[in-house]
Amino acid sequence: MKVAVMSCIHGNYEALNAVLSDIDDQSADKIYCLGDLVGYGPHPNAVVEMIRALDIPTCQGCWDEDIVEGLNSCECSYPSVLAEKRGKQAHEWTDQVIHPEVREFLAQLPLSLRDDNLCFVHGSPHNQHEYLMPEVDAFVALERVLVTGADILFCGHTHVPYVRSLDAGQLQIRVKSTGTTERDVSFSAPLKRIVNAGSVGEPRHGRPNATYVIYNTDADQITLREVEYDYQKTCAAIIDNGLPPIFAWRLARGLEFAERADDPTHVCER
Amino acid sequence: MQPLNITLVAGSIGAGKTTWIQQQVHTTAETVIYLSLDAGETAVDSTYLAAEVPGLTVLSAVQLANFLEHPTDGCVVYLELGFHIDLNSIILPDPMADCRRVAVLPPGTRHTEWHGWADVVVTGAEASITLRQPHLWRSALSGQVLDSASLNTFWYELTNGAYGTIQRAKGIFDVADGRSLYFDFVAGLPETTDMELNLPRWLNGRPDRFSGIEIVGEALGQTAIAQTLKDCCLDEQAIAYYQQQIKDLIEQGEEVA
Amino acid sequence: MNDWAILSGIEGNLAAYEAVLADIKRQRQPVEELYILGDVIAPTAESEQVIQRVRSPQQNEPMPQVCQGWWEEQLLILHGLGRTGEPTELIERYGITMVKTLWDAIPREMVEWVRSLDFGLFELDCLLIHGSSVSVSDQLTPDTPAMQMLDRLMRMEANTLFCGRSGLTFQYEIQQGTVTSSLTTLDRSNSPQAIAVKPRQVVGVGNVGRLPGQASYALYRPNSNQVEFRTVRYGAGKGFQRASP
Repeated sequence: MKVAVMSCIHGNYEALNAVLSDIDDQSADKIYCLGDLVGYGPHPNAVVEMIRALDIPTCQGCWDEDIVEGLNSCECSYPSVLAEKRGKQAHEWTDQVIHPEVREFLAQLPLSLRDDNLCFVHGSPHNQHEYLMPEVDAFVALERVLVTGADILFCGHTHVPYVRSLDAGQLQIRVKSTGTTERDVSFSAPLKRIVNAGSVGEPRHGRPNATYVIYNTDADQITLREVEYDYQKTCAAIIDNGLPPIFAWRLARGLEFAERADDPTHVCER
Repeated sequence: MQPLNITLVAGSIGAGKTTWIQQQVHTTAETVIYLSLDAGETAVDSTYLAAEVPGLTVLSAVQLANFLEHPTDGCVVYLELGFHIDLNSIILPDPMADCRRVAVLPPGTRHTEWHGWADVVVTGAEASITLRQPHLWRSALSGQVLDSASLNTFWYELTNGAYGTIQRAKGIFDVADGRSLYFDFVAGLPETTDMELNLPRWLNGRPDRFSGIEIVGEALGQTAIAQTLKDCCLDEQAIAYYQQQIKDLIEQGEEVA
Repeated sequence: MNDWAILSGIEGNLAAYEAVLADIKRQRQPVEELYILGDVIAPTAESEQVIQRVRSPQQNEPMPQVCQGWWEEQLLILHGLGRTGEPTELIERYGITMVKTLWDAIPREMVEWVRSLDFGLFELDCLLIHGSSVSVSDQLTPDTPAMQMLDRLMRMEANTLFCGRSGLTFQYEIQQGTVTSSLTTLDRSNSPQAIAVKPRQVVGVGNVGRLPGQASYALYRPNSNQVEFRTVRYGAGKGFQRASP
C-alpha cells in the first residue's frame, strides 16, 4: 500500500492541485494531511473545500488553531518583530475572508491521527508548535517517536522534508531510591523513523516547488517528492488579493513567507 | 601659513570613494578632516569613518566654513562628493581653489565627465551592474532601535532584489543590545559586510546618535522599504526591556556577546 | 565549593521546615546554598508563616533560592497571574471547594512574592525545578521511562535535574546510551552515525512537609557530584496542625 502524506498547504491552491495530481500519478492508496491548511496564501477557503471534498484525514496545525481560537501565540513563537507583524497581517487577512463553515471544519480537526504503526502530527506529539528539525538531538527525536507508541512519526511544520532513521537506540540506567535496592535497567528500541512531509504551499528548501512524501508500506520505503507547479499564479493572486507583495517574492524563492524561529525547540509555556 | 592640503573625492557609485579616503588616512600621520558634501541628515559615511578611523575629524558644512577661516596648520582635508553631484556646478570657497581632485572609478572607465574634472583617476572596485536610471533613496533612522533578526531578514531581502535592483546599499543601525551596526553591500561582491561600529553601547532609551540608510538602485519600492524598516523597529517597552537585560548582564560581570 | 541543600514541598508545615533547617546546620560540611523547589505553600493558614520564615532566614542560615511549585502555580492561576486562565487542574484534583480554601489561605500581599518566583533555577550544569522542564505538574519518579527522563534533561541541556513533584527521594542515573541516526533530505543523504549520550541524572529530592513527623531532603556536593538523602524525624505534636486538603 502507498500512503501519501502532505502538510502546510497555507492557502496555496495551485500547489495543492499539483500535489494531488502527482499523488494520483503515483497511485497512492491513502492520503493524510498534517495541517496548516490556511495562513499566508491567497486561497484558504478553496484549499479547505478541496481537503473536505476528498475526505482527506487531516490533523490540526498551528495556523488552523489560530484561525479558530483567535491569534493567541505569544511573541516568542515568532523569530523577529518583522515576522510577527507579517504573521499578524496574514492572520488578519485570512480571518476576514474565511467562511464560517471552513472555520468550523478547522475547529474539529484532531491534534494527531493514528494508522496502525504510523502516527501523524503537525509539529511534534508534545505540541503542534514544536519544530522537529533534522538536526534535533537523536535522543530527543527518538523520544518524540517513542511517546506515540508508533514506529514512524510523520510531521510537518518545518517546511523542509526529510527522513530520519533512528536505529538500535539503547540506554543503560541505574536507579537508587530510599528503601529499595539499587537496580540496573537497560532499555532498547528497534528502528524508529521521523518523516517530515515538507510543505505543499510554502516551501523552504530554496526552490519554489511543492514537497510531500510517499510511504510504500510493502517495500517499507519512503520517497520525498518535489513537484513543480505554476507558482507565478499564486504569486499573482497574493498581490491581487492585497496580501503583502513580499510574500510573493519569498514564495518564488522557496524561502517561506516568514523566517523560522532561532530556537525552534522553544515552546511557549503560555 | 602653509597652503591648505585639500582633496576633493568624486566617482561612481560603489567604486570605493570612502574606502580610498580611509586608506589615505591610514598612511598619513597628520590630522585628517573629513566632510561629505551631500550627506545632510543621512551621514552614513561620516558616522562610519568617525567611529572607525582614529585621528579623523568629521565636519559639517557649517563647521567647514569656520575651519577655512581659521585653518589649523598641518591638516589634511578630504571632501567627498556624492555620485549625483554635478561637478561643474560646485562653487568652492577661495581657500580651496587649488585643491587636488581625485576621481575613484571602476577599472576600464573612460571618457567620463570625471576624467575631465579630475587631476588623478584612481582605479576602484569593478561595477557589476550599470543602472540606466540610478536612483538614490535614503532615510534617517536616528532614535530608532531595530530588532537584529528583523534587520537581517530585511537586509537579505533588500540585497537580493525584493524591493528593486540594488547597486549599493549601506546603513548604520542601532540594535536592541545597544550596539551600532554598519551594513555595506555592493552588487556583485560576494559578501555583504556587517560590522559593529566602535561606539559605546547605547543602553538608556532611544539613542541620540545617527543611524540611517542609503540605497542606490533602480525601480525601488520605496514605500515597501520604508514600511519594512518601520516593522523592524522596537517599541518603547521592548527597547527598555532589552536594555535592562544587557545592563543586568554587564552588572553580573558577564561577557555580553 | 560547599554543599547544597535541596528541598521541596514544605506545604505550609513550619515545624517540618524548622526541623530540616536544624538538620542542615548540623552538617559537618557547611551548606552554602539552599534551594527550595516549590510547594512552599499548601491551602493552609500556616503557609503565611512559612513564607515569612523562608523570606527571613536567620544569620547563620543561607538565603533560600525558591522556585514555583504546583501550589504556587494554582494560586497564581486563581489570581489571574498563571500560565493558563482556568484552575482546571486544581478543581480536578481537589474539587471546587478548594478554589475558595486556597484563595482564603494565602493573603493577597503574599501573592506578589509567589509571583516573583522563577519557574526553575539553573546553577552550574544543574536544573532545579518542581516538576520538570515540561511543566510544574510533570511528575518524575524512579519508574519514569528512561527516554522520557533523558528528554526532560535535554530540554534544558542539564546534566543533573533536581525535582520534587513526586515527593520521593531517588537518584536516577543515565549511565550510557547510543542510537544510530541517519538522515535523508531532498539534496543529500547522510550515512548512519552513532550518537552517544553523556551520563546525566535526575534526582528526586523528597518532600519536607507532607508526612507528619518525617521530612526528607537532599544534600548535593557539586565538586564530586555526590548526592545524599536525609530523613529528619521531628515531634509532630509540637504546635503542628494541618488542614487535610
